[in-house]
Amino acid sequence: MSRPHAGPPESDPAILTRAIESLLTEKGLIDPKALDAMVDTYENKIGPRNGAKVVARAWVDPGYKARLLADATAAIKELGFSGLQGEDMVVVENTADVHNVLVCTLCSCYPWPTLGLPPNWYKAAPYRARVVADPRGVLKEFGLEVPETTEIRTWDTTAELRYLVLPQRPAGTENLSEEQLADLVTRDSMIGVGLAKAARGETRA
Amino acid sequence: MLLTPDIVPAVTSTGATARVAANVAPRFRVGDQILVNNIHPTTHTRLPAYLRGKRGVIERDHGVFAYPEHHAHHLPEKPQHCYAVRFTARELWGSAVNSRDTLVADLFDDYMELR
Repeated sequence: MSRPHAGPPESDPAILTRAIESLLTEKGLIDPKALDAMVDTYENKIGPRNGAKVVARAWVDPGYKARLLADATAAIKELGFSGLQGEDMVVVENTADVHNVLVCTLCSCYPWPTLGLPPNWYKAAPYRARVVADPRGVLKEFGLEVPETTEIRTWDTTAELRYLVLPQRPAGTENLSEEQLADLVTRDSMIGVGLAKAARGETRA
Repeated sequence: MLLTPDIVPAVTSTGATARVAANVAPRFRVGDQILVNNIHPTTHTRLPAYLRGKRGVIERDHGVFAYPEHHAHHLPEKPQHCYAVRFTARELWGSAVNSRDTLVADLFDDYMELR
């Protein structure tokens, strides 16, 4: 890994990580090319568009949605998504009565095959500490005001299950194709800190 | 085994589940009212501190998984059921929060007792 000579100094964790990587490489315990392949996989090949396809399929196919809510791991695998950090999946459905939001207060557990790597804020202490105690306040900071009459259900996913939120299908999307619907599904809506985007020309109620 | 670039696709698409095919009886059933143990291990745990001593309800039985407390420290395996357990926000944070809001956490058999 080459580094430019100019630019801001590296952070302590970055220096530490590079030192550990060199040591493990010199001892023959890791192959840096394998690490590059892992990073490339999760930075460039796998990301939230996978999850968006799952959501769009559930919106157009009631049978698929039923399978997804009953056995998410198998239903997600039907679309070709499986593996590391998605071995045992649970999908939770947003309705008019319940808004689900995900967190891992102990670290950064996150469903990689469907969402890719977690955003920095998801891994940061402020989100993890605050969303369990004050979900309404945190969601407001994301621009999402959940009605007082809707239950916010926060999932602290600290064990071996990985979760995905099935957001509500936006109004006025009856005539959109599955592909067009997938474009409305944002990463944040599948974590529960946002909603799916409104269809063009529609404003959200 | 050394991870090499050629096996990365297989490793990433397969993963490594912590689910265990052991026939272990669940200690709780869906709907059971539980109390989270007030324990403070200094070794690895997947029990968030803010849930200790709190009252919840078993919402879903996820099945049998490796017990992280043992697995992390190379202790003899102790596979057990992991459950989605629901708490009211008021049980956790007091009367100032919305009475509808809830929190669900995935907790192992050994973390809880019936109440």
